[in-house]
Amino acid sequence: MPDLSLSVTVNGRTLHRTVPPHLRLLDLLREDLHLTGSKEGCGAGECGTCSVFVDGVLLKSCLVPAAKVDGADVETVESLGPRGALSVVQRAFHKAGASQCGYCIPGMVMAATAALRSNPRLGDEEIKERLGGNICRCTGYQKIFDAVALARDVLCGVRPASALDEEELKDGSFIGTSVRRLDAPSKVTGALRYAGDMTLPGMLHVKVLRSPHAHAVIRSLDTSEAEAMDGVAAIVTAADVPGKDGFGVFVRDQPVMARGKVRYVGEAIAAVAAEDLVTATRALAKIKVAYEILPGVFDPDAALMPGAPVLHDYAADNLVKHIPIRKGDVEAGFAAADVIIEECFETQQVEHAYLEPEAGLAYVDPDGVVTVHSPSQNITHHRHMLSDILALPINKVRMIMSPVGGGFGGKEDMIYQGMLALLAMKTGQPVRLVFTREESVSTTAKRHSARISYRMGLARDGRITASEIRAVYDGGAYGMSTEGVIRKGAILAGGPYAIPNVKIDTYGVYTNNTPSGAFRSFGSLQTQFATESMLDMAAERLGLDPFELRRRNAMRAGDTTHTQQRLDSASLLDVLAGAEGAARWERGAPVVRGAVRGDLAGEGTRPPCRLGARFAAPVPEAQAEEVA
Amino acid sequence: MLTCDHYITARTLDAAFDAMEAFAGRYRLVAGATDILPWAREGRAGDVHIEALIDISKIADLNGVVIGKSRVRLGAATPFQAFLEDRALSAVLPNMRHCAIWFACDQIRASATIGGNVANASPAADGMPALLVLNAEVELALRDTGGVRRRSVPLAELVEGPSRTSIAPGEIITSFECDALPTHGGAFEKVGHRRSLVIAVACLSVAVSLDAGRKAFDDVRIAAGGIGPKAVRLAHTEALLRGAPLDAGTIAEAAELELDLVQSRSRRDYRRAVLRGFLTRALVCAAREAGADVDVLEQTLEAVDA
Ligand SMILES: Cc1cc2nc3c(=O)[nH]c(=O)nc-3n(C[C@H](O)[C@H](O)[C@H](O)COP(=O)(O)OP(=O)(O)OC[C@H]3O[C@@H](n4cnc5c(N)ncnc54)[C@H](O)[C@@H]3O)c2cc1C
Ligand code: FES
Ligand code: FES
Repeated sequence: MPDLSLSVTVNGRTLHRTVPPHLRLLDLLREDLHLTGSKEGCGAGECGTCSVFVDGVLLKSCLVPAAKVDGADVETVESLGPRGALSVVQRAFHKAGASQCGYCIPGMVMAATAALRSNPRLGDEEIKERLGGNICRCTGYQKIFDAVALARDVLCGVRPASALDEEELKDGSFIGTSVRRLDAPSKVTGALRYAGDMTLPGMLHVKVLRSPHAHAVIRSLDTSEAEAMDGVAAIVTAADVPGKDGFGVFVRDQPVMARGKVRYVGEAIAAVAAEDLVTATRALAKIKVAYEILPGVFDPDAALMPGAPVLHDYAADNLVKHIPIRKGDVEAGFAAADVIIEECFETQQVEHAYLEPEAGLAYVDPDGVVTVHSPSQNITHHRHMLSDILALPINKVRMIMSPVGGGFGGKEDMIYQGMLALLAMKTGQPVRLVFTREESVSTTAKRHSARISYRMGLARDGRITASEIRAVYDGGAYGMSTEGVIRKGAILAGGPYAIPNVKIDTYGVYTNNTPSGAFRSFGSLQTQFATESMLDMAAERLGLDPFELRRRNAMRAGDTTHTQQRLDSASLLDVLAGAEGAARWERGAPVVRGAVRGDLAGEGTRPPCRLGARFAAPVPEAQAEEVA
Repeated sequence: MLTCDHYITARTLDAAFDAMEAFAGRYRLVAGATDILPWAREGRAGDVHIEALIDISKIADLNGVVIGKSRVRLGAATPFQAFLEDRALSAVLPNMRHCAIWFACDQIRASATIGGNVANASPAADGMPALLVLNAEVELALRDTGGVRRRSVPLAELVEGPSRTSIAPGEIITSFECDALPTHGGAFEKVGHRRSLVIAVACLSVAVSLDAGRKAFDDVRIAAGGIGPKAVRLAHTEALLRGAPLDAGTIAEAAELELDLVQSRSRRDYRRAVLRGFLTRALVCAAREAGADVDVLEQTLEAVDA
């Protein structure tokens, strides 16, 4: 591959570099110059984490061939603050609490800086518009917008510079005071290193061969040609696992890499460590796998039918777990009801979409300790599992939790750390794996989809006399957190309502879909969605106000939950009152509303999104202070 | 991942043709790279190796804007952001800034070129309806034994369907010649899953001028994208509106006239409803920008809609 010579000025220093001709500006910055404040959240122009200035214009460096910056002047987030200090924009982000996982924040700071350079007096709507190219999954955009407005006001002299300082403690107490986050400076400057930002001398790059089939027996797996390629250091497969293979939160049913059979599209089969990513990628194409395709099952109800394809030998019925809850006598409850409503609900899979794709770095330290850095949400558990998998005593396995660039439950399962450990052991070199966004979306755990059959009996006054709920959750190909998820789903299924007679069954089922795992709210969202929908339908049937219906059924202090726990306190009534007030709810049954609703629009409601705020903006004043 | 053996940055048209000759059949042109890089990823083309990438974005011929009395020449490498930043340009092409503000985001717009948008020939390309409204003529250049040959084609003819154009192998789009519309008002409507960074489910570009009393339409130009295999002008609707009074009845009638143009394979009824709403709103916005007082008209139309 002939190389490309570049000279480029980066953060004030002119550099001459010879690079592969296809290199992107983002790779040049991150891999060659170790300027890892620019992140790769998507590699496809969608997220903005890679934003840098090229000749003063903000670009997404994942879509800029490095060749384009020959002779150009590039500024990254690392250049914003004077050495060791923060720029006004960065200080404003710190003050406003505009950073959570932090992965999007350097890009946000760059977009904010660009916005203020374009129009130092931009209005609040224009701030939103100019940050439209950047995605944040955790902070929530409001604090980010607040930070930009604060920076604008300080730079324009509308607010004093002291507005950026930490708030003084109110009466010497942290409670009631807006305290700045300790880790924010490292996030707003891009200094914080996530797993994919770390490098070690001699580090190899890892790519994973994944199954194109949902259900198939692996007849043969030949890595010899790939292994013989120049630049390839090692390849690992299930055959390289020295100990007891298998991980999972409740049942260790998932091998580090497919063992004899694949159970979902995207399942890892082999991992290659090579000198660079291009070589590792090309090696994948040289691995030969012969599959015998098996019939698959993609619907959890179908998977429960006799004769359905079986995923795991240990579970001939494809059942991961069944959680039953019984309270009172539902049949008696239905007999006493004036109205019985029956409905079926389906919810879909959901991707966590944390901005940091999965990444990890592993090496064997001089004392023989296998060390894995990864944004794992459960390192101790991972360490124990890895010790069994590697057949190493626990003191020879070390998991280091790198900063988590968003998790939401999706980084609880140990889906790739095993491959990294094996490659580090096999090569004796540090190895790093960074998922592409597509890989992250298509192969990692999702929120369980569920099908919920519901029967609810109510008296004419709205009191629920009985609830019968059957929820079938699609666990996908492996158990992961399914057992816990469906347990929580069952416990909370009936909702925060005092119901004398309850029958709840939740099932976690194996299918050949992408495995499902932990996700915020852990299984309860699915059943609660059904419960609240049922109550809205009941309000319509009974001619009752939906808030009133919920109040009549609300659990109060002294009530027992569906799992027989006595409540010392209950806040549902306060929550309902708060929501009702904030929504300016028009009282009455759902059927009484006419064509014009008084509770829509008005204060506190966002109008539909329009763009073009900058067209109305005043002409920026040239003498406005320069944005550092 | 997109890999190549050579990345050649052409500074002149001739240098580009030299490279295209040297790697005939084994190259791809690159302008802003905002279509070609995401294309070479998993789920689309996957890992792609192209022997030579020939970057044409720095060729002088493809850059620069010339504003003439009745026509405007836009270099093919003009990025969409130019329509937001160059006030002289948005004054004569009033619909383009509205198109640009809905196009991707500030960062992508700074790279994404009009030539790439047209050559890529997506049925949902935002630039297409906007350039059709301007009666854009596309200038292309090709070098053969006889030297550099140039031809000019109406944009409506160049793009044939999804990813299909009549750009010949070895041809480069050098520029677009557009009508200068200094007294028109412009508007753009777009809907997708979110506001920024979104491929249009449907989009609409409008430019209108008014009669002397500002109470009736004079010239009306409308084009829609995302509703069929390629973007189209709404010729009958334009004819109905030309010279017609600027009132609710006329606009409501116009908004219904050509909904049959929606030929998408999916969500046809939805797109028809959207197109009707777009037409109503865009005509009012463009008329306002052209100097009409449309506040009362807008309220009337909103009430009709509700
Ligand atoms: C995050 C994101 C958001 C986007 N949002 C939008 C959007 O809102 N609306 C929209 O319409 N598009 C959008 N796009 C698509 C893309 O940005 C546009 O189509 C853009 O105009 C392509 O131009 P380019 O210069 O980047 O093309 P390139 O990727 O450089 O080239 C695209 C194709 O055109 C060919 N080509 C380029 N220039 C010429 C020329 N002068 N002569 C002949 N062939 C040429 C190339 O060979 C290539 O095949 C988006 C893309 C991304 C990544
Ligand atoms: S926009 Fe470049 S990494 Fe997401
Ligand atoms: S803080 Fe924005 S993605 Fe986490």
